[in-house]
Amino acid sequence: MASSAYATPFNRGIDFSKPVFILLAAILAVLVLFPLFWLLLYAFTDPARQFTLMNFVKLVSDPAMRRSFGLAIGMAALVGVLACAIATPMAWLVARTDLPYARFVRILVTASFVTPPFLGAIAWEILAAPNSGIFNILYRVLFDRPTDDYLFNIYSFAGLVFAIACYTFPYVFTLVANALDRVPSDLEDASAILGAKWLTTLSRVTLPMVVPAMLAGALIAILQALTMFGSPAILALPAGFHVITTKIWSLFQFPPKLELAAAAAIPLLILTILLLRGQKWILGRKGYTVLGGKSGAPRVTELGKFKPLALLFVFGILCLTVIFPYAALIKTAFTETIDASISWDSFTLKHLNFVLFDFSATRLALFNTLLLGVLTATVCTAISLVVSYLVARKSVMGAGILGVLATAPVAIPGIVLGVGLFLSYANPTFKLYGTLWILLIAFMTIEMPAGYQQLSSAFQGVHPELEEASRILGASRLKALWQITAPMLRTSVVATWCFVFIGTIRELSATILLTTANTKLVSVIIYDLNESGDLGAISVLGLMLMVVSFFVVYIASKMPLGAGRLQPRG
Amino acid sequence: MAFVELVGLTKQFGSLAVVNQVNLNIEKGSLVCLLGPSGCGKTTTLRLIAGFIEPSGGEIRVGGKRISAPGASAPPEARNMSMIFQSYALWPHMTVYENVAYGLRLRKLSKDEIRVRVDEILSITKLSALAERYPAELSGGQQQRVSLARALVIKPETLLLDEPLSNLDANLREEMRFEIRRLHDAFRYTTVYVTHDQSEAMTTADLIVVMNQGGIEQAGSPEDIYQRPESEFVARFIGGTNIFRGKKISADTVACEGGLNLRCGSGSFAAQGDTAVSVRHHDILLSEHKPTASDTNAIAGTVARQIYLGSHRDYLVTIPGGETVRTVAPVSVAIPVGQQVWLNFPPENCRALAR
Repeated sequence: MASSAYATPFNRGIDFSKPVFILLAAILAVLVLFPLFWLLLYAFTDPARQFTLMNFVKLVSDPAMRRSFGLAIGMAALVGVLACAIATPMAWLVARTDLPYARFVRILVTASFVTPPFLGAIAWEILAAPNSGIFNILYRVLFDRPTDDYLFNIYSFAGLVFAIACYTFPYVFTLVANALDRVPSDLEDASAILGAKWLTTLSRVTLPMVVPAMLAGALIAILQALTMFGSPAILALPAGFHVITTKIWSLFQFPPKLELAAAAAIPLLILTILLLRGQKWILGRKGYTVLGGKSGAPRVTELGKFKPLALLFVFGILCLTVIFPYAALIKTAFTETIDASISWDSFTLKHLNFVLFDFSATRLALFNTLLLGVLTATVCTAISLVVSYLVARKSVMGAGILGVLATAPVAIPGIVLGVGLFLSYANPTFKLYGTLWILLIAFMTIEMPAGYQQLSSAFQGVHPELEEASRILGASRLKALWQITAPMLRTSVVATWCFVFIGTIRELSATILLTTANTKLVSVIIYDLNESGDLGAISVLGLMLMVVSFFVVYIASKMPLGAGRLQPRG
Repeated sequence: MAFVELVGLTKQFGSLAVVNQVNLNIEKGSLVCLLGPSGCGKTTTLRLIAGFIEPSGGEIRVGGKRISAPGASAPPEARNMSMIFQSYALWPHMTVYENVAYGLRLRKLSKDEIRVRVDEILSITKLSALAERYPAELSGGQQQRVSLARALVIKPETLLLDEPLSNLDANLREEMRFEIRRLHDAFRYTTVYVTHDQSEAMTTADLIVVMNQGGIEQAGSPEDIYQRPESEFVARFIGGTNIFRGKKISADTVACEGGLNLRCGSGSFAAQGDTAVSVRHHDILLSEHKPTASDTNAIAGTVARQIYLGSHRDYLVTIPGGETVRTVAPVSVAIPVGQQVWLNFPPENCRALAR
């Protein structure tokens, strides 16, 4: 009797989520597994698709290849060390001392965070190229040196490590500063009451507790350095050496050696997975979960007479990572040449004019970039939203697999994904090479983990009882989602959209392998213009990219959020 | 006929039966407390009644209609119930007024009627002044009352409460117990109340259902449960007690360790094996001299600890056989540690427990 009447609406809910689950699983599997499959297929076969290990033998027996691997790993390791050396003292000064302008310092570090590394590398070209670099010109003028003398050479191994560390040290800084913010002061008080001097407390209690955060940040910095294409391509190639990523890219140049490129991508993939495992292991160890106590404000150390020294250190770092590079970009964008002096006479809009009106490729690239940014952000956010709902509420059997698939691309470096996608879709079956579709697929895959992680943590913040309360008062599953969950997630959704959008418009590593003359993007144009040495135009484009990014962040932060956004207690 | 009926209700997660063959009848308008330690299946039972989870076996009937059975369960929204959650589950993006009005809006009531009913319930729960606040701007007790108001305003057939007071501090908890009972007396909704706090259950319930390991241990009025426990688990869980164990030696007497024979005024004896005897702390008489005219229900022991608690003294007495008996005595009975005392267990206070 009544039971049959009730059974219908209940079953409809089940039927609704099943197909969605299957559809999403299929989409994610295609996005993630398809390129990996083709990558492995090419790596382990010859052009006739017969199984072979020759590709790897060739890799290992090629001294140039071995050298590029060695250099890349050495470079990445040094970046990790340098990032820790810069970021840890800086994080401590900002989080735990009475250093003035600490908030301002944090904001500027964030600014170096959002700077695409390839743009930073170009800025450092402007500053420290041996002949045309501003620093070297100043050096020659001030010290009256011959024209072939120089102080810095950014086109060198050391220069590359420096330029990458400038834009990866924020990973360490952010993690360590957050950890220091959360070390409860009573742990330090406990050490002090037992008789430890402040330096002992610092070295025996405070710093050991943030070591995991520092290591985790360093591993991310190393990973970024290892998989980065832009900076090495800009700085290492003129210096006459290759790293893994540029080597893979060079294998795509005519005549393309696709099997070899696929094989070269495999070690990079394995290294990435190992680094991420290592990071998870370090952060997951039990003893360090004390971070997050809520007992009292963190202790503040008074710097006293060391204050000017500390300020000088922090200001120096910020000059190198943010202030000088941006000053160089702005100057180059609005003066005739790099070495022109700064005055009203040398001010010009010719680069702006060139980029916007004379150079035909720019407008297409701008359009493509914005289109792909909006599409990727929208589709990625939508998929992440549904996936994280299904995973968080375990509404379908096996929903967890969706989360695994959505997170998996985090372990696939951009250039490796580029190789995989090229092999998957640039063939007669799909014919996607040379279209925007292949780029859309690439960006969706690259950005899916970030989108999913943001939204799934947002879902975890919404207590399931909030939805249940709405159900028991008479709302259907969909109505509860729409009236309760959706409004509470609005800010997270907007933030995720912006995050993905900004990530997309600056992507270069995968793009460089998948782009053609018709599907140029701003990042690729910047790279192309660098080849032809047109730094004025690059500076304009780079600044435009940054302005758009900051504008999107600003709009997002101004969204009306509603007064009752906070979770109730309990 | 009972209003809410649980028939052979079972819920398994994997091979673990969290709720196992529960049978329970709840009369219309009564307040039933599911009481038990954590992990006993009480919250799962409540969520089965609410329809958030589907039973693996058995069924739930409300007003004679089957609403839950494996594969054929009504969704929560079709049950005309409301629920108060442990976390209160107030929607942080809605004001107090909007939170309370939500259920009425879903029922498509007219604006005027919604206003009348929300205003009425807000004044009953003493929240009128806070109607335009957001939940984050309220204290814990106020949030709790909003949660009550939101659940009551829709006039549900059944009201479910999941440990509603566990997030409040002690004073407020006591006040809210009486508040819940007062509102129940005013509205007479059929209510199922889950708690692990026995005094909460005593204050509020018409019927207490003690649960243990997924099953019902005993169901009865607060007096039944306290004065006539049927198992050792219930006797221990509700109010402190001393448990002695021994063999039955006559129709009503159990011989315990150390030569203590207890004649039991009530209860049931195990057919074979040991019988447990429960004697509440305050039902034992403590004196310096041997009680007259009795060779059962008394034993001498040594004071192991004595604490002055203002209204009474709390004693631990070691008896032959090594057992420790806890008892209370008036402040005037002050016997120092180490001295011998006599414990007298009046038969009417000794309850034999077969389980």
